[in-house]
Amino acid sequence: MKNSRFYIGLAGVAMVVTFLIWTGFDKAMVYYLTPVELMAKAAEDDTFHDIGVKVSGRVVKGSYQAEGAFEHYFSVMDLAREDASFRVEYRDILPDTFSDETEVVVEGRFRRDGVFEATTVLTKCGSRYEAMPDEMAG
Amino acid sequence: MILLGEFALWVALPVSIWGIVLAFVGGHRKRGDLVLSAERSVYAVFFLLCLTSLGIILAFVGEHYEYRYVWGYSSRELETYFKVTGLWAGQRGSLVFWVLLLTLFSAIAVFQNRRKNREFMPSVVGVLLTITAFFLGVLLFADVNPFERLPFTPANGQGLNPQLQNYWMTIHPPTLYLGFTSFSVPFAFGVAALVTGKTDSRWLVVTRRWTLLSWFFLTNGIIFGMRWAYEELGWGGYWFWDPVENASLLPWLTATAFLHSVMIQEHRGMLKMWNLSLVSLTFLLTIFATFLTRSGLIESVHSFAQNTRIAYIFLAFLGVATMACLLLILWRKDDLRAERTIESFLSRESAFLMNNLILLGSAFAVLWGTLFPLISEGFAGTKVAVGPAFFNRVNIPIGLVLLALTGIGPVIAWRKATRRNLERNFLSPLLMAAAVTAGLMIAGMRGFYALATFAICGFVLTILATEFWKGTRARARIEGEGLGRAFLHLIARNRRRWGGYVVHVGIVLMFAGFAGASFHTETDQSVEPGDQIRAASPYGHEYVLTYQGLSSSRTPNMWQWVALMDVSRDGRRLGTVTAEQRIYSTSDQPIREVGIRSTPLEDVYVILAGVEDFEGAVLNESSAQGAVFQVLVRPLVGWIWYGGLVITLGSLIALWPGAGGPARRKVQAAPASARLAKV
Repeated sequence: MKNSRFYIGLAGVAMVVTFLIWTGFDKAMVYYLTPVELMAKAAEDDTFHDIGVKVSGRVVKGSYQAEGAFEHYFSVMDLAREDASFRVEYRDILPDTFSDETEVVVEGRFRRDGVFEATTVLTKCGSRYEAMPDEMAG
Repeated sequence: MILLGEFALWVALPVSIWGIVLAFVGGHRKRGDLVLSAERSVYAVFFLLCLTSLGIILAFVGEHYEYRYVWGYSSRELETYFKVTGLWAGQRGSLVFWVLLLTLFSAIAVFQNRRKNREFMPSVVGVLLTITAFFLGVLLFADVNPFERLPFTPANGQGLNPQLQNYWMTIHPPTLYLGFTSFSVPFAFGVAALVTGKTDSRWLVVTRRWTLLSWFFLTNGIIFGMRWAYEELGWGGYWFWDPVENASLLPWLTATAFLHSVMIQEHRGMLKMWNLSLVSLTFLLTIFATFLTRSGLIESVHSFAQNTRIAYIFLAFLGVATMACLLLILWRKDDLRAERTIESFLSRESAFLMNNLILLGSAFAVLWGTLFPLISEGFAGTKVAVGPAFFNRVNIPIGLVLLALTGIGPVIAWRKATRRNLERNFLSPLLMAAAVTAGLMIAGMRGFYALATFAICGFVLTILATEFWKGTRARARIEGEGLGRAFLHLIARNRRRWGGYVVHVGIVLMFAGFAGASFHTETDQSVEPGDQIRAASPYGHEYVLTYQGLSSSRTPNMWQWVALMDVSRDGRRLGTVTAEQRIYSTSDQPIREVGIRSTPLEDVYVILAGVEDFEGAVLNESSAQGAVFQVLVRPLVGWIWYGGLVITLGSLIALWPGAGGPARRKVQAAPASARLAKV
């Protein structure tokens, strides 16, 4: 066919895009878990200590300690079960909205010593805004 | 008046349903009077939505906190400006605003076509009113009525999230919504073409300017959002691949694809089915984007709470609309055959198709990454998310190919590019790209993607500059005009083409700005007054920021702690910059206001990350001045905004009403038009 070269080109583009998506996933995939799920998975499968995970929970009241502006320690507990909690270590500047009992999403690695080494900490909006589900949407 | 607004919202639904019935019956039975009546109901619904919106604004300005929506997004302390924009500050109001804009555009489309394109109008009106009726139904029956009252009247509202009290945030959502809603018009005409069987390129010509208008708003809406994130969110970036950001990017990608593929249908009679699919897909994605931002289905920094009811309603609508589009296209599949086939891989058709494929590939990757937490939860039981790393990895290479195509597309020949065409057009741009790469490497720049980006920028700019130069010179010679005059006339004579090239220049500038991100530096330091923070710039010079101290003040709306820094570069004093923390009266959490010193080469971005002793600072105690700063040096960020302005300029050139399309130039002198009409 006259334009077979064209179709080969199209197929090539499609393959490259697929390849990028495929390999991109391998590199950037993170499990999104609750503290209960994280601890269950880590107990069951040791490799969960080595991969990046994202965990959403709540900062335990009174658990926050800091050394200077760049070293923070606090505990995060499950939203549904208060007894499921772990320590978090974070060496960067915390977001403005971080405080006791805020909902947070921590991303990082759950070390074998049971401490979560966070690379990012995101806060969900505080209780003041709970009635405002989508105040930032747009 | 507020009650009237509420009443108008209730009346609008039956009126629009009545209009749908009239439009389809009138179209089917060829009864012009019924169609006319349906068109009048479009005007009526628009008028009713104006009343509704006015009612909401008055409720905000009049401090009627008995309305849940007003209570949730306003307070007595809020400036009037933000009370008026409260119309689109939250989910409920913004849905009303969405319908208001949709009916506005519907009314304009109906008015424009009151005497022409009559055979399309029944379906156009029917489709537009169906979308309207759907949104009105959601507003009235899905627990999101903006006029819902609280059981009591609170003394004050909850206040508006401080991060939304920003200029860009007041214009970002409306601009995006203008883009989303105006795309319904080309979609409605596409459906009309399918229904009536008139699937030649006429529906494209009719809606050409609409598509461009929608693209213009979408682009600006996205850029405004980036600007807001940069100035207000205080982390030094402008794009986070957040689900809501992705949602606005998706229709932009497909709309951009559509904007290009329509040209192939107009010129070569190909891609009919593709264009109809793209217009439908883009429309569906605008609805999807509205839905994603407004339902909280996917976790995002933008939306946290879940209102699953509205999610199911939107999903059902999307499903039905998708099915309807598919069935219509399959039904007309025989009419949608291409009049010609592609002749060569090296041709403009093929370059445009590549552009389309790549844009769609990118859209697919973004969609997949955004929805992946849902997909994996549904199929594997665990939520797996992908972060910005995924989106960057996929989209940076894709973006670079697209960038190259912004240069290749305009100059490669239709049908089949000869060797001569390729050599003439691409030799010097390629040399320029090589020169840029060599120059930057000698200057010490490393990093594959950044070098590739700047090289391709050089390539594309050379092509575009050559095109402008050739066109101007040819015109100056033939018409005997001066170069400046010839340049302006050249653009005026074919605004769509040259406006498009200006947009491409803007895209190049933006990409240069994006590439700057790979060189940004960050310095974190905790300081006392008099201390210095040294921040290295990637260009080799050094900024020294001397901390002067904190001052605090109070307004009814907030407490403010303002840190003052003296900035000098390589020993030369540049001036001062301030960074703040604020605690708004409606919240107990501090919010950062960053200080930005912007130059064309780089931005110095100062974040007051922490104040050691808030109370002490309020009392102006000299021992309580300690603060923590993050100083970011961000090269070329300004180019993103300049590029945005150039894109706006280009779109406006292409959009400007009146003559200027290639079709009108047939009467001109042959050589000039032959040269100029080669679109």
